[in-house]
Amino acid sequence: METTDTTVSNSDSLRRAAIDRSVKGPVLFLFANAALWLLASTIMGLIASVKLVKPGFLDYDWLWFLNYGRLQPAHLTALVYGWAIQSGLGASVWILARRSGVALERGAGSMVTAGVFWNIGVTLGIIGILFGGSTSLAWLEFPAFVWPLFLVSFLIIAGRMVLHFNAVQRENWFFLSSWYILAGLFCFPWIFATVNLLLNHYAPASPLGAIGAGINAWYVSNIIWLFFTPIGLGACYYFIPKITGKPVFSGQLAQLGFWGLVVLGGWTGYQKYMGGPLPAWMSAVGGTAALLLLVPAGIVALNNHLTTEGKRGLIESSPTLRFVFVGSFCYVLMSGVSALLGTFWTGSNTQFTYAEYGYQLLAVYGFFSMTMFGAIYYIVPRLANCEWLSARLIRQHFWFSVYGISAMVVCMLVGGLFQGASVNSPDNWNQPMVGSVINARGYLVGRSLAWVFILWSNFWFFVHLVFMVLGLGRRSTTPTLLVHDRHHDYVPGTLTSVTTKEA
Amino acid sequence: MTSLRKLVIGLGVSFGAPWLLLVVIPALKAQKTVPIPYDKDRDGLTGFYPAEGVYRQGQLVYLKEGCVQCHTQVIRTTFNNISDGWKKGWGSDQSDIPKHVVRASTMRDYLGEPVAPLGVQRNGPDLANFGYRVVGEAGREALHVKLYAPRSQNEWSIMPSYRHLYKVQKIQGAGSPDALKLPKDLAPKKGYEVVPTAEAVELVNYLCSLKKDAPEPGKVVADSK
Repeated sequence: METTDTTVSNSDSLRRAAIDRSVKGPVLFLFANAALWLLASTIMGLIASVKLVKPGFLDYDWLWFLNYGRLQPAHLTALVYGWAIQSGLGASVWILARRSGVALERGAGSMVTAGVFWNIGVTLGIIGILFGGSTSLAWLEFPAFVWPLFLVSFLIIAGRMVLHFNAVQRENWFFLSSWYILAGLFCFPWIFATVNLLLNHYAPASPLGAIGAGINAWYVSNIIWLFFTPIGLGACYYFIPKITGKPVFSGQLAQLGFWGLVVLGGWTGYQKYMGGPLPAWMSAVGGTAALLLLVPAGIVALNNHLTTEGKRGLIESSPTLRFVFVGSFCYVLMSGVSALLGTFWTGSNTQFTYAEYGYQLLAVYGFFSMTMFGAIYYIVPRLANCEWLSARLIRQHFWFSVYGISAMVVCMLVGGLFQGASVNSPDNWNQPMVGSVINARGYLVGRSLAWVFILWSNFWFFVHLVFMVLGLGRRSTTPTLLVHDRHHDYVPGTLTSVTTKEA
Repeated sequence: MTSLRKLVIGLGVSFGAPWLLLVVIPALKAQKTVPIPYDKDRDGLTGFYPAEGVYRQGQLVYLKEGCVQCHTQVIRTTFNNISDGWKKGWGSDQSDIPKHVVRASTMRDYLGEPVAPLGVQRNGPDLANFGYRVVGEAGREALHVKLYAPRSQNEWSIMPSYRHLYKVQKIQGAGSPDALKLPKDLAPKKGYEVVPTAEAVELVNYLCSLKKDAPEPGKVVADSK
């Protein structure tokens, strides 16, 4: 388990500083670009949401490429590839470097280059979607030629870290957080390459028909459960013990949770098309796996609860812990929602409705992004050698994000339920879709407002991060904490011991 | 054995199983699905099911416009709150009171489509059997007008306009026979007309080809013979 020794020797901090320096370039590059894509995705999400209420919004002849059918996938792919996976890679690189205990000797330059190509991929992909190259495969709408760029960039960055980690081979290095992160780094290329090869290259020659749609749904679900979840949980299991200064409560429980996730995650996905043309056993298996995934979620929740027992006060003061705490709470929520969407009992009403979008955002934003924000607030000051400028900006980022994503998820789940109820209602058998459109309208206004909140919060996050990356942060030896409005009120010795302590 | 190897093997086994069973094997088996013939005596029909695929050229327009974001192409099994099969106009029977429930979609209905666009959400009506809803040349014209200006037909519609698939051109002579018959408030200025581009025609051809409820051999309902 994580070391919790409070005495930090001088040589240790020098070693850590050397490790941080060795990965500074790639990690800051990935974080800064990710934050920019998050901003872009949020703006596109906002415009797309408004268009669902008022199709005439920005509907000028020369803005023809902003139609909902193009903007919505561009928004989601920017969120997933531009922001989420990219920031996840950044956090993984740093955590693995720290866990290895040895500075990376070479390869930082090639990681930055790979990062550049990753971003070229996202840019080409989104331009491709907007200007008529969309494949309409969920989360894979990029034109078919873009995916190798992603795969190669990912393999260079992740591969470099995994090889370094493996070569260093500290005794007993098998920590929970590294375990989760390695699992995520292994699964992504596997899932991504398989699905792209099948859907973009095999399918045109040998048609897959309805199975292709099922594989596409499997892809979305597997990216959530076998990339976002392990990377997010790896970060949770790294930062919670580190900041609270307590080891993970039960290592055995945590192992059970890990294997539960890995064994079950791959079976989910087909429940998206339950009742449809795919063999019923496939969606039954998917729904069952989604239900069983509540077990690892419960284990993680219990473990985190017991680890933070007695240290919850730190959530008030530590930005990282605050974001990570909300993130891991959302992980439990998302497992619950996923289980509800996957059964006929509740899922028949939410199938094909806004509820599914709400679930995806709960996973990608509520759980994963919040955890990554926490990681970024911890990692960046150590790489940039300066502290966050303003506790007020961090607080603002936190609260607007929390209000925004909560409003979003509630609106989409409830709105989706009403939308589905109207579409499915036998009384409406001879009605046009007007009922469901009217039913959902109020919730779509809520969705647009939620995007405004999230846009506001992420605009300031981006500005704040850019200052840090440029090294224009606060020069200080004390971290920016959230208890005081003005950081110079900070009383040394009260919280430093737990927030700056490093293991 | 290093711990990393342990992890890789554990992952490989636990994730490899669903990967094989849910993705690789079904994908390889998909090409074994072929049309099956009707039995003249049993079904009263000749030929094959499904008879023909969709119009792929138009499907590409459907995909790049992202129609799947709001339109599904699935008739779900009718039970537990789901009444897709009883929706008016969602099957071949366009009468006010359909005699039979529309049968649920099957794997074979999507034969020949590289990846069936089953759809992300159902913000608009299902399109699995949309072809039946377009009757004759008048139906096609109305569909063009709907794509050009959706709200001209339903004022509450949230469908985006696909004006970029149409072009406004100067009327030459008697005007193009394909020109859209637009209501006054949408009509272009005098002396001009709106005509569909090749892409719009292909999209409409595709939408008209969507007829996915051909009776299954051995399950032909008496009335539909």
